Amino acid sequence: MKRRLRDVPWAIAMLLPSIALVAVWTIYPLVKAIQFGHLTCDVTGKKCRDVGWGRYWDVFTSTQFQHSLGVSLKLMLLTVPTGLVLGIGLAVLADKHLRGIGIFRTIFSSTVATSVAVASLVWFVLLQPQIGVLADVFSGWFPVLKNPGLLNDPGTALLAVAFSSIWANLGFTFIIITAALQSVPRDLYESAYVDGAGSTRRFTNVTLPMIAPTLLFVGVVLTTRALQTYGEIALLTSGGPNPEKPTTTIPYLIYGRTSLIHTDLGTKSAAAVLLFLLSLVLALVQFRGLEKRVHYGS
Amino acid sequence: MRTRHTLAVLAVASLGLVAACSGGGDITDSGSATTAGSGSTDSTVADTSGATTSAESTTSVAVDSLPDCPTDALASASGTVEINFWHGMSGPLNDELVKLADAYNASQTKVKVSLVQGSYEDTADNYFAASQGDRPDVVQLPEYQVQAMTDTASIVPVGKCIESSGFDTSAFLPTALAAYATSGVQWAMPFNISNPVLFYNKKVFTAAGLDPNTPPKSLDELRSMSKKIVDSGAAKFGLALESGFDSGGGWYVEQWFAKAQEFYVDGDNGRTGRATKVLFNDQTGVDLLTFLQGMLNDKTAVNVGDNSQSGYDNLLKLADQTEPAAMTINTSASLGPVLQVLGTGQFPNINADDVGVGPMPGPDGKPGMLIGGASLYVVDSGDDVRTAAAWDFITYLVGAQQQSEWAAATGYVPNRTDALTLDPYKTTVAKDPRFAVAYQQLVDTPDVPTSAGPVVGPLREVRTVLANAVASVFNGTDPKTALDKAAAQSNGLIADYNARN
Repeated sequence: MKRRLRDVPWAIAMLLPSIALVAVWTIYPLVKAIQFGHLTCDVTGKKCRDVGWGRYWDVFTSTQFQHSLGVSLKLMLLTVPTGLVLGIGLAVLADKHLRGIGIFRTIFSSTVATSVAVASLVWFVLLQPQIGVLADVFSGWFPVLKNPGLLNDPGTALLAVAFSSIWANLGFTFIIITAALQSVPRDLYESAYVDGAGSTRRFTNVTLPMIAPTLLFVGVVLTTRALQTYGEIALLTSGGPNPEKPTTTIPYLIYGRTSLIHTDLGTKSAAAVLLFLLSLVLALVQFRGLEKRVHYGS
Repeated sequence: MRTRHTLAVLAVASLGLVAACSGGGDITDSGSATTAGSGSTDSTVADTSGATTSAESTTSVAVDSLPDCPTDALASASGTVEINFWHGMSGPLNDELVKLADAYNASQTKVKVSLVQGSYEDTADNYFAASQGDRPDVVQLPEYQVQAMTDTASIVPVGKCIESSGFDTSAFLPTALAAYATSGVQWAMPFNISNPVLFYNKKVFTAAGLDPNTPPKSLDELRSMSKKIVDSGAAKFGLALESGFDSGGGWYVEQWFAKAQEFYVDGDNGRTGRATKVLFNDQTGVDLLTFLQGMLNDKTAVNVGDNSQSGYDNLLKLADQTEPAAMTINTSASLGPVLQVLGTGQFPNINADDVGVGPMPGPDGKPGMLIGGASLYVVDSGDDVRTAAAWDFITYLVGAQQQSEWAAATGYVPNRTDALTLDPYKTTVAKDPRFAVAYQQLVDTPDVPTSAGPVVGPLREVRTVLANAVASVFNGTDPKTALDKAAAQSNGLIADYNARN
């Protein structure tokens, strides 16, 4: 006990750098945003007056926020499960001791070195309806590629964005899951094999439980990323096509080029805080819901 | 444990449901119910809670109460004065601006200017958020920020600098100066100017039996020529339309109102008093959108969607190999890049020499254009010497020789007539008259109050709202219905802005 007490100053000293960073870059802005959420301010954000905490409810129930909430949730449902399944699939495929497997691992993980901006621009150019390669080659089968273009059609715009997003995130998912696969003890597979388990059985009964903590982690990260999707929207659709705005995610609603609340510090902050709460609740639900089924090993 | 998380999920789900059922107002109205004292949560777009506040803080600015511009303070300064300049030029435009600033620093020893680059939006955001000590000495902001900048009460109006230094403005385009003046106060100095022009494919004109050197001037000509092009099979479409908020969905509509010599917002476009509502849902607006919708309906025009994404989808429609359009409207600032790209010869149906440039067609074919681009503000640092230094730098950037170099290198329009007689711009225009079209349509602009564009706090947001309406009209919505809805939402935004500022 005494020893423990003696360690406290040291512990604090060691933690101080992290605490300072988190306080300055996360806690302080968060507190500020929560405060601004019930104020209404002039353009400089300096002359403000109180409009009450009801602002949060007004923003939450507003047509635009509800619409963007739907878009963000849809995008999450489109990207997270697909991203996870594809990531596991590619990782399992590449988890073989074959000659030249390194080449495939490099290819599969390459998108991790691609920023959202670069990935989006690549797809933007490919999908360009007038002179883009995909429109030129495939518009015979898929006229939507040309007229009005995948990103310009309200029915396909979100799918196209989701596709680009999945593609860009795949490298990250692949690397993390590959690392998890490699840490699964080989003797587990061997004993399962001896016990007569086939490859499907070995995957469901050995691999999946062993990499479950990693899947939970990847799932939470992908969910948060999906809710915070901004770069893809800014570069691919600007939240459009208008007037349906099927790709205006919550972050884009808050500070996109076409945001109506972009210069309204109070409303903007309230919406941002709501996004934070949403991510928090979803992360908690994921942890609570899956924790029991996740085996962290000994 | 299990039940607890199930409960959490249920709670979240039901919250979403409750919210989805409760109708919901407009997000821009949030919080206003409290201030207005009305219990209505369904106040939506037409809410005018700020109207009374704005009425008080309106109109004529007392020039005497604005900060002075002691331009002679620089002479008494000891040593070199260091000033900062925040600007929104990127890519090749940034390179050119850096060149000009370097030349300025090398030309004298009194002032040394340092540049900070960002987008227009970032520059504005950073400027608004900064406290006095953190602000630059000179800031470049686009034309839609005039109201917001005056509301920051942080600038020295350049009009005061012009007065105290006896700076000669006689060579400047009157419309360029007027764009940055309200209630008789010249707030900023126009620097980089652009406006929309008509781009067309001369080869298609020839193939359709039209004179490739006579582009349409009026909207009626635009339609009849488009019909001829489509009927002759010279191109699939006559005109490529788009609905970006910085272009076809917003800015061009403002231009069309100026051409029709109509105000776009009240308060004489916000020039004589603070604007409180938009006027774009009047007959002029309805006629205009009905006309464009008609062209889409009879397939003489094609809608390429929201152009704000790339800024060149409509231009690429001219280069489309299977379904090209013959004409489109785009900012004059894109002429340089367009000729550069087409000059590579990668598009078989149009090369750089095939590009024709004409004035933007308007309702009656009358000339008239609003100033686009950006201007330079002197920031009130509270330090006379720095204010004087900022003004000295601005006078350099808007000098005739510098404007000639800037315009020749960038494709922007010079802000003064004497820049035309100086090289390199003189040679550029002589070699390729297409670069003079944007300039000429500004010179031809009549000197009437409607030739100064709308000044209203949330102009950018109003453009976004209108772009939405234009997009839905392009999809078939009745123009009057769409414009009325957009006007109501815009008026709500303006009322909210005026109440806050």
